[in-house]
Amino acid sequence: MKVEFTAAQDALRKELRSYFEQLMTPELSAECDEAMGEGGGPLWREALRQMGKDGWIGVGWPKELGGRGMSPIEQFIFVEEVMRAGYPFPFLTTESVGPQLAEFGNESQKRDIVPKILAGECLIAIGYSEPGAGTDLASLKTSAVKDGDEWVINGQKMWTSLAHFCDYVWLACRTDPDAAKPHKGISMFMVPTSDPGWSCSPVVTLGGVRTNATFYDNIRVPADAMVGELNGGWKLITSQLNRERLSLVNFGPTAEMFNNVVRWAQQMEMPAGGKLIDEPWVQINLAKVRAGVEALKLVCYKQAWAMSEGTLEMADASAAKVYGSEFFIEVYRLLGEIIGQASLINRKTEGANAMASRIERLYRTASIITFGGGTNEIQRDIISAAGLWMPRATR
Amino acid sequence: MDFGFSEQQRDVQNLARQILGDNVSPESLAQYDGYKADRFDKALWDKLAEAGLLGLAVAEEYGGMGFGFFELALLIEEAGRSIAPVPLSAHLVSAALPIQQFGSAAQKQRYLPGVASGQIMLSAALTEPYNEDPAQPILTTATADGTGLRISGDKTAVPFAHLADRIVLSAKMGDGVVVVLLDPKAAGLSMTPMQVTTYEPQFALSLDNVSIAAEDILASADRGREVMQWLTERTSVALCAHQLGASDKAMRMTASYTAERKQFGVLISTFQAVGHRAANCFIDVECLRLNTYQAVSRLDGGLDASNEVQIAKIWAGDVGHRVSYAAQHLHGGTGIDRDYPLWRYCTWLRYNEISLGSSAKNLASLGKRIAAGEAFCR
Ligand SMILES: Cc1cc2nc3c(=O)[nH]c(=O)nc-3n(C[C@H](O)[C@H](O)[C@H](O)COP(=O)(O)OP(=O)(O)OC[C@H]3O[C@@H](n4cnc5c(N)ncnc54)[C@H](O)[C@@H]3O)c2cc1C
Repeated sequence: MKVEFTAAQDALRKELRSYFEQLMTPELSAECDEAMGEGGGPLWREALRQMGKDGWIGVGWPKELGGRGMSPIEQFIFVEEVMRAGYPFPFLTTESVGPQLAEFGNESQKRDIVPKILAGECLIAIGYSEPGAGTDLASLKTSAVKDGDEWVINGQKMWTSLAHFCDYVWLACRTDPDAAKPHKGISMFMVPTSDPGWSCSPVVTLGGVRTNATFYDNIRVPADAMVGELNGGWKLITSQLNRERLSLVNFGPTAEMFNNVVRWAQQMEMPAGGKLIDEPWVQINLAKVRAGVEALKLVCYKQAWAMSEGTLEMADASAAKVYGSEFFIEVYRLLGEIIGQASLINRKTEGANAMASRIERLYRTASIITFGGGTNEIQRDIISAAGLWMPRATR
Repeated sequence: MDFGFSEQQRDVQNLARQILGDNVSPESLAQYDGYKADRFDKALWDKLAEAGLLGLAVAEEYGGMGFGFFELALLIEEAGRSIAPVPLSAHLVSAALPIQQFGSAAQKQRYLPGVASGQIMLSAALTEPYNEDPAQPILTTATADGTGLRISGDKTAVPFAHLADRIVLSAKMGDGVVVVLLDPKAAGLSMTPMQVTTYEPQFALSLDNVSIAAEDILASADRGREVMQWLTERTSVALCAHQLGASDKAMRMTASYTAERKQFGVLISTFQAVGHRAANCFIDVECLRLNTYQAVSRLDGGLDASNEVQIAKIWAGDVGHRVSYAAQHLHGGTGIDRDYPLWRYCTWLRYNEISLGSSAKNLASLGKRIAAGEAFCR
């Protein structure tokens, strides 16, 4: 065991940090801020293509698939640095659906879609949730019915994030309404958002983040739009969610924010003399964040390491997700307390402090991943059952 | 970043787990409850020595295995898992390591072979009454006496002082700190047994002009503080490793119990509130594990670990406390029934939490480092 980065990993991080300093122009940053940390704008797209060209998006992917052949640890370092730079990286596409397609997709998907993902030219939204199917995802109703060589898709999805600028929806559909168990009658499809039967309407959330209700009206897709096996979608959903969970709790941005708040508090003059950072309560808040970030870093890298070894444990992945998502809320609170009033001021206010207003916004977004990506209650169920062998109630 | 154990580390882990598992049981521990007997299992001590485990981190030239701090920490984690009645941290980490690192050739020759064979027992006097900084002794002072020293003062909570052959002890001398290897039989030294919460035999030492020969000085006044900091850092991490083993065991004992106990006609593990409190322990223990291993790994690799050690100790304090109370609660009355093995773990979880600095103290100290610009995230 060696819990430290290798010299090559440190060098990679350094390289990436200067790469992103170049890439993140003030114009791009401004555009990303405008998009509430979601991306989707023209400069954002251009930068994504650039990363693709420069071979970064697939840095940890096998060479056969068009990657650079490094390990998931290097991939994780890349994602951490891109997020740390403040670029809203489309990790759902690149880190979770992409690898699923590469592993389980058919020939045409591997040939046509995967290379585009690595080139930064293809974006994919995730269509699982429906108005009536949230945590109980297997109860979903959107249907796909076979008609000759095609599938006809009808239904409504809810919370289909990023769909308004994505090329495809990775869509979960019911293909066998009579399956003995609901999750055995679900299949996955790649549905193009360019289809005339596809539409979406915005749903705006507390954090300003836009998501969507998406509608599927007699959309016809060819047989090879299906991913994996007929009625074999559940396995794809759960393994996609496993991958998603790990990207959700990336620690790079938190580490950066901590560093910025420290530097800021070192400068801030107190009315009665001295600096804000001399206050014991400020130091305690910072120390709590620092100790927590360290755990987050280790939890994340242990997952990345386990992925490269092929030994990722379900309970560990769930533990990372629960810990990270709940810790973020703590971080925004603890750091917001230090910043005080300024952490309540929207960035559009004249003279607003960028760091403080970022916390204003993030504090409003932090609940999303405690229930999204598989709610923490279910993650804790998984942990007690898979990690501690505790029999659980049947559902 | 490599989170896998080497074959050597796995061997150490398995061997330790096997010997401790075979020799420590609720029944064997019960004999020490309430100070009925000295909490020391001599037969187990000899078995550990025989298996080479006491000499894990002792250089081969002194009869040890020549492994590193990582292997030693894994042994201590196993000692925590079984709350074994042997003073591994005091003997191996607080005393043998600094002798090996800073001692003279003669000192190493004199003590290390016996450390490995178990024939010599070492301990360390780290704290004074209400002064818990081992590198800043206040009450214990030294003066020069020919080539040797005279030491007077008080130390508290010294494990196994009555059985030890030498005790690592620090004393203030002028502006510096000296570190000596105190003979517990020296004239002028008196020891009073203390009743510490874990039942580990510990003693208050009172030194009245005790004479220390030159050959028993481990570090002179200009180096003593550094030596004490060095060994304190390692002892703190050893407490974390012990806490890791103990809290992992308490958590798993609890999980098993909930998978057997029924109420309302069903296993209590099937109540979501029960499962989730256990899941919180799982997350906590994982955070403690990774932070502990990180600190161990850095010390093992000779890297600076000032922040990482404090962070690990913060987790050790918080996790020990939370796991202890979750474990007690999820057992209901059984958890605190002295006929059931959990309660002994609770005393150790508390001991490791508070010893050498609680979470609050370490947070404050980490906060100072952050303020000084010494603890940015990399
Ligand atoms: C901003 C945003 C973006 C999103 N992006 C996407 C996306 O891109 N694609 C997509 O498919 N979905 C997306 N979602 C949806 C998200 O995955 C769901 O919100 C989530 O699955 C929870 O479902 P729900 O909202 O219907 O809540 P419910 O399932 O109704 O849950 C409500 C509460 O009940 C609890 N609960 C439910 N079941 C149990 C149980 N068995 N045991 C204990 N407690 C339980 C939950 O933990 C939660 O606290 C997004 C949501 C938001 C807000």
